[in-house]
Amino acid sequence: MQTGPFNKILIPNRGEIAVRIIRAARDLGIPTVAVYSDVDRRALHVRYADEAVHIGGPRPAESYLRMDKLIEVARRTGAEAIHPGYGFLAENADFAQQVMDEGIVWIGPSPSAIATMGDKQAARSTVKRNGVPLIPGTEAGMPDDELIHAAKRIGFPVLIKAVAGGGGTGMRPVARAEDFAESLATARREAESAFGNGDVYVEKLLLGARHIEFQILADAHGNTIHLGERECSIQRRHQKLVEEAPSVFVDRELREEMGAMAIAAAESVGYINAGTIECMVDRDKNFYFLEMNTRLQVEHPVTELVTGIDLAKEQIRIARGRRMGPTESLLEPKGWAIECRINAEDPYNNFMPSTGTITTQILPTGPGVRVDGGVYSGSEITPYYDSLIAKLITWGETRSEAMLRMRRALAEYRIMGLKHNIPFHINLLNSISFIAGQFDTSFVERRFNMNTYEQDPTASDLETVAIAATLYAHRQRQLASQVVAPAKRDASNWKWMGRFERMRR
Amino acid sequence: MKYVTIINERRFEIEVDSDGRVLIDGEERDVDFLNLGGSLFSLITENKSFEAVIDDDEGRIDVMMRGRQFEAQVLDERAMLLMQRRGGMEDSSGEVLAPMPGLIVAVTAELGAAVAKGQTVIILESMKMQNELKSPIAGLVRAIHAEPGQAVDKNDLLVEIRAPTGDA
Repeated sequence: MQTGPFNKILIPNRGEIAVRIIRAARDLGIPTVAVYSDVDRRALHVRYADEAVHIGGPRPAESYLRMDKLIEVARRTGAEAIHPGYGFLAENADFAQQVMDEGIVWIGPSPSAIATMGDKQAARSTVKRNGVPLIPGTEAGMPDDELIHAAKRIGFPVLIKAVAGGGGTGMRPVARAEDFAESLATARREAESAFGNGDVYVEKLLLGARHIEFQILADAHGNTIHLGERECSIQRRHQKLVEEAPSVFVDRELREEMGAMAIAAAESVGYINAGTIECMVDRDKNFYFLEMNTRLQVEHPVTELVTGIDLAKEQIRIARGRRMGPTESLLEPKGWAIECRINAEDPYNNFMPSTGTITTQILPTGPGVRVDGGVYSGSEITPYYDSLIAKLITWGETRSEAMLRMRRALAEYRIMGLKHNIPFHINLLNSISFIAGQFDTSFVERRFNMNTYEQDPTASDLETVAIAATLYAHRQRQLASQVVAPAKRDASNWKWMGRFERMRR
Repeated sequence: MKYVTIINERRFEIEVDSDGRVLIDGEERDVDFLNLGGSLFSLITENKSFEAVIDDDEGRIDVMMRGRQFEAQVLDERAMLLMQRRGGMEDSSGEVLAPMPGLIVAVTAELGAAVAKGQTVIILESMKMQNELKSPIAGLVRAIHAEPGQAVDKNDLLVEIRAPTGDA
């Protein structure tokens, strides 16, 4: 079933997004069922849900990806709807179909919309029919000489991409026509050895482009609207680290234009529920469709804060077959919101993931601060899942107010027991380029460095750190010597019993 | 107790006497240093209030203060003496350990081959990310204890590198 009434929701997910959905369901008075793997028994989503079912081993393939088990859990607990969250099975058309075949409501778009948008070439040709602009490029399967002509027609620089590729593998930028033949040969060889498929296509390489995406909401009554943009250019290895709504780069006119395009793209697949249209926008404000994410995004809270709309709640309302709350696209966001993804990664060590127990977590609070998290003091960060600890989101009347509140919140936030990227965010929020809104998708990797801060530490800062480190070492040493030396007040159990007996006399 | 503390190549001589008074380069400082539980500390000095997260990392002390991480080395008199004898404090261990549990994706080091300091020797996948593990020293690859596809635990010995002088 794509829409219909339901009274219990199963959430085949974990971490902060599972908690987020539980909260939305609770606000609506709908009970929830959580599932968990061996290592997640203590996780927050398990504690907060009304029911919790163990589904298997720590590896996702043994638990959170087990479609058969998940459907069986839904049957057994009487869950009448499934909210997949993001990641895991959220964009798996087969699973969505199986869920609907069971007569369970899938809180998300139709399996066909998921399948079409999940296939790069199919997505491109489908949205193109609705007049959505695509990054100029060629089809797959063209011979070398035709590709060279096509590349010249598109105009250099171009990007050679493997048809079977993904995540940067099999990609090759070419700046000049004379280098094309050689790069093409290399790209084909790489693609052949990595994927067993040497087929490539050519796309225009956008320089200084930003990653800007539009939030879409559509109900089963024929209404499709957008809720404005999110700026997601602060990323590293295609992983987003900071998101904002709105974008400094988007004025009302561009928002109207891009919003209309986003709606057209969603309508091309008959999209229902919440979704996101990701775009690249070049320096001249030309924009191009990149892909559609057929689920709730990690960064959805920034849109919630500038619209006042609870997106997870709207998703449930839409899946129940009701009309969505908002009826018009949002062209004037209320204030500004920024999200920092707090990850268990060491920014001083090439963003190396860190695992272990969060011994203490002290959350920031105060005006304009929201934390969406799935961990608490004593929580374990395991190597089996992603490194997201929490999302820290701040809101302000203006971008400056939101940034100042973020700096305050980051300074208050304490996470102990493992490495985290809060220092990265603090450094970023002090960088002049970020403050001025001048960045593109290459900013973090090309122009940002944890060894350089806008300001060097002062002599007195260094001295304070020296005092703290020395006193810490001094106390450790004293503790160590106490452990070795016999304690003064130590009494044997016999002596203690004797004294106790005497006292009772 | 007298200490020499080194941070960002700056050197501080700090004395903590038996009454707990703190002297920096011979001058007494008003310091109130309090543990707030776990690795969180509060420091008030000359009315200025600071918070720091302090962790021990195998002899090195990591101090996280005001959003920055500082690496400090605190040497007592005995350690200073030892260091002077050894003629430096460069850690010359050539062992590459797994920093976290994960799956070996590739071994880029070759047995017997020369590697530079900072050269990638292993690619380890953990938390959906590929991480390059680098050689801590320049030298020759003496032993490899990992192969692609192998699951490893934290602190498993993966590669051993011998410094060219034979001093390990």
